[in-house]
Amino acid sequence: MTALRNTWAIFQREVGAYFLSPMAWIVIFLFLLINGIMFRAFCHFFADEPRQITRIVESVFGFSLFWVLPLSPILTMRLFAEEKRTGSMELLMTAPVTETQVVLGKFFAAQKFYFLVWLSLLPLFIILEVLGSVDWGPILSTYFGLFFLGMLTNALGIFASALTRNQLVAAILSLSGNLILFFMTLAAALFPEDPALKRFFHYISFTEHFDTEYFRGIIDLRYMFFYLSFAALFLFFTVRVVEARKWR
Amino acid sequence: MIEVSGLSKSFGPIRALDRISFQVDEGEILGFLGPNGAGKSTAMRILTAFLPGDSGRVHVAGYDVERQSLQVRRSTGYLPEGVPLYPEMRVQEYLKFRARLKGLPRFRREARIARVVEESGVDHVKRRVIGTLSRGYRQRVGLADALLGEPRVLILDEPTVGLDPEQVRQFRQVLRRVGHDRTVILSTHILSEVELVCSRVVIINKGRVVARDTAANLRHRLDSAEMVVAEIQGPMGEIREALSREPRISRVEAVKGQTYHRFSIVGSGDDDLREVVFRLVRDGGWLLRELRQETTTLEDVFVEVVSGGASSPGGDV
Repeated sequence: MTALRNTWAIFQREVGAYFLSPMAWIVIFLFLLINGIMFRAFCHFFADEPRQITRIVESVFGFSLFWVLPLSPILTMRLFAEEKRTGSMELLMTAPVTETQVVLGKFFAAQKFYFLVWLSLLPLFIILEVLGSVDWGPILSTYFGLFFLGMLTNALGIFASALTRNQLVAAILSLSGNLILFFMTLAAALFPEDPALKRFFHYISFTEHFDTEYFRGIIDLRYMFFYLSFAALFLFFTVRVVEARKWR
Repeated sequence: MIEVSGLSKSFGPIRALDRISFQVDEGEILGFLGPNGAGKSTAMRILTAFLPGDSGRVHVAGYDVERQSLQVRRSTGYLPEGVPLYPEMRVQEYLKFRARLKGLPRFRREARIARVVEESGVDHVKRRVIGTLSRGYRQRVGLADALLGEPRVLILDEPTVGLDPEQVRQFRQVLRRVGHDRTVILSTHILSEVELVCSRVVIINKGRVVARDTAANLRHRLDSAEMVVAEIQGPMGEIREALSREPRISRVEAVKGQTYHRFSIVGSGDDDLREVVFRLVRDGGWLLRELRQETTTLEDVFVEVVSGGASSPGGDV
């Protein structure tokens, strides 16, 4: 009960901090602007094609997938690095809260804001629904995929943020982590004759699942489990890093 | 209320604290004194369970800081050096957040916040964004935060650094108001602060306790060799000789003036030298226009103790 209350208090503070920082608004602004422009372009491009609406939805998501790379690093870089730099970490950790509660509170705040950024695409789909008819299944499954993928990248980002007191270093670290995961898809091509390795790289790459599953309305729980376990692992590491000041 | 015994802490090869021991009784205000880099902040961080010590025992409010860290943190209010608050939050918002972290039940939060805001004198800025507040006000918000959980122990690390003299005076008033029913440790390198507020003093230097006593006692230790300053008119050599002949006077220094000469006179015993000097002046038929006893300040004690002049008093270090 206390644990939940503390996590909730930290979660609410961090969510509030997102809305008070210009960074969040800049991210949302750019996200909407660029995706809006692309949406318009896609509408023109697919105007005379068959299944235009489905293709537009797929393209909007497909294009905005590149946001997966910088979004989490930008949203999470502040979380611990800033507290360490200003020293507010000391006030935070001398309150009667545990490291786990702090890490979880911050993580869920990042997760919430991350998902809100993605939800800001919804008006585009509603426009399509008004003009024609949208198949909401794939949209739902894509959001599902984005949510779980976000758990992984946000956990990675928080871990990076806990390692340093410099936000930029944190962002670059987690961006590197995301890039490595991103290029796992390409790594599969290095081992064309080894089906086991190929499957392994496919399994841990994150872009491929969107093309082959989420866009088609398929949710494979094995990947959810993969994202979740990776997220849990990085959150565990983060707790250990925050605790590290007490090691000797 | 606070018990520290044999506490050591090293950061790599640097020994920040070397077997320090002291205790603070309930209701006391202890001045934790030392030059910059003496290990004050490290000690405070260990007392607040932010960092662990390498060895030794630390008990705060009856709890072991390592094994019962949550209980210690519940009964302690801490104001870290530099008062790192979240600049984007409003004062009231911030205190509400801290009250939740400190586990104040919802129905008591509002009242408690209203109370500490008033006690610390930040009532009229409670809607301001913390980042726009002056240093003095942020300091007070930090104090309000420290008081929120109704702690039995207050630990304040350099609470008056960066304040102007007026703010320091105000802060002291606030501290006296909130300190009368609490145990307080106040670290500082400003001596006047300790003299005005603290009942007892621990002086540390290079990680070791070099003195530990009441402020008055510490001062008294140096008072035993009293010094009197006198301005006397007359032939300087003659006056000096008369003073030097007096057995109760051990040392005389003279500075020549136009008509009046200035003498610094150090006694050999505990007697009040002013009487002695007055009699000598009267007998010599000279004129006297100033006669005062130099009181030793904690500053003198501090300089003496830190420079290693005095044998560590009251110390089993």
